[in-house]
Amino acid sequence: MKWFYRIFSLCMGLLFLFPLIWMLVVSVKKEGMKIITVVDWFTPPYSLAVYHEIITGTKLLHWSWNSFFIAVCVTVLTLVIAAMSAFAVSKIPFRYRTFMFFFILAGLLIPGEAILIPLYQVAKDLDILNSYQGLILPALASPFAIIILKSFFDGIPNELLESIQMDGGGVWRIFTSIMLPLTRPALVSIAILTFIGSWNNFLWPFMSVTDDNLFTLPMGIPTLMNQYTEDYVKPMVINTVASLPIMVLFLIFERQIIKGVSLSGIKG
Amino acid sequence: MKMGKWRADGQAFLFLLPFLVVYVLFTIFPMIKGVEMSFYKWTLIRKMDYLGSGNYERMFQDQEFWASIWHSTIFVLITTPTMLVLAMVLALIANRNSRLQRFYRSVFFIPSILSVAVASFLGLFVFQPYTGLLNSMLHWLGLLAEGAEIFWLTETHLAWIAISLLTLWWTVGFNFILYLSALQDTPDEVYEAARLDGASDSQLFWRITLPLLSPITRTITMLQIIASFKVFVQIYVMTGGGPLDQTRPVIQLIWQTGFRKNDLGYAAAMSYMLFAILLVLSALQYWMNNRKEAN
Repeated sequence: MKWFYRIFSLCMGLLFLFPLIWMLVVSVKKEGMKIITVVDWFTPPYSLAVYHEIITGTKLLHWSWNSFFIAVCVTVLTLVIAAMSAFAVSKIPFRYRTFMFFFILAGLLIPGEAILIPLYQVAKDLDILNSYQGLILPALASPFAIIILKSFFDGIPNELLESIQMDGGGVWRIFTSIMLPLTRPALVSIAILTFIGSWNNFLWPFMSVTDDNLFTLPMGIPTLMNQYTEDYVKPMVINTVASLPIMVLFLIFERQIIKGVSLSGIKG
Repeated sequence: MKMGKWRADGQAFLFLLPFLVVYVLFTIFPMIKGVEMSFYKWTLIRKMDYLGSGNYERMFQDQEFWASIWHSTIFVLITTPTMLVLAMVLALIANRNSRLQRFYRSVFFIPSILSVAVASFLGLFVFQPYTGLLNSMLHWLGLLAEGAEIFWLTETHLAWIAISLLTLWWTVGFNFILYLSALQDTPDEVYEAARLDGASDSQLFWRITLPLLSPITRTITMLQIIASFKVFVQIYVMTGGGPLDQTRPVIQLIWQTGFRKNDLGYAAAMSYMLFAILLVLSALQYWMNNRKEAN
């Protein structure tokens, strides 16, 4: 029975890995070879010529950079904006505080997909279609991040803040020297979730961008793929080039990423 | 924190300002703008004629629209239960005390970090007839006779299976992690005590593990229903919504109506129907969570 579990587990593991291994192996295969059985995918001759061709002959790397740049901007700005608001709602005793909290909470119920059509019109009126601003700004308002951060801020005792105030520290100092450092794990988790979300965002770039210098990976890849239908080497090189950087990042930050993802269960 | 009333208002305003700007501009205002748009014939270029409730009346009689709602629902019905079972099985595998624990955790999660386009194209190439990985594999193993092909992407039933398998592979990682962290939160003493009382493995699973996982199961179920209902990219890449629009989900129809048929007004009306459906699902989730806490 124990052996059955082990073999079953191993099979599942390999099954999950297999498409990725296939992708990597086919990507280094020499182009134009005849594939008769499944074994032929994995046998030599190998060649890196197509890598060179794809990297120098297409905008794939530029799109990777766009995806990365946009994801970093969205992540940093979302964190700053969300932390500031969460701090205000959690710790500053202003009027309309309850109203503001529910106003933010309501945002959780508005799915991005349902407002894309009018968002397109709004972005057009603001003249930010086909621009980095247009790709970044609409992604910044994250009620989810605020609600999570607020619950972490709520746990920081007021006495601590008041002692800083006694020492003559202002609100901004309290925010940067107490609130942010003390909630670092939550901030990191939210950063990771936001980054993955932005990295995978397809619909909005797909609708709002037509200039291929502004494409992100998710929308650039389909336009490239349409040119290659016969041979699998080029598509697999494209897939690999698009995935390797993020896989390396994952292996480096695996522990934090896993922790970040388990936090998303709170969403429910 | 203690501070004067006016000062508190001023400070709060400054801290909230950046969020309020983007939130109002890109979430609240489009919400309202969409209402206006849905009452007009509105093209990509400009606002045209006022239609009153015309777009909505059209929607309720539009076979294509209801078919697309149904397709999204089919996808929810297939992927939600399979996702739960698969995520739980994988979490149980990775939670076993073996040297491979870390390996399993990485391997089950790694497809989730692929870009949606990469995952979808991998799916396309795996399920392609003649040259795809799966059919070649089946030929090689002798499970598929020579000369026979399975047309995964062009027969409606098979297309649903292919799309769902790809989606499970690609997204199960998130739910797997949720289950895994719930499993790891369970103190070992609980199992040890049960074992001392002579409980078998299957009893442990049905009587202890499963009940302990039920709060997270409820959460995952609702999140998955909502996420699956919003499916688009995988289908768009793998089948293009075909054969004959038989797998076209509602988001694809909204996009096509707005951007291919140049009818943003009607697309906005459809978006509100989507919004209403998702709102009902969210409300259901909220209600279930509150009930969970009340218990």
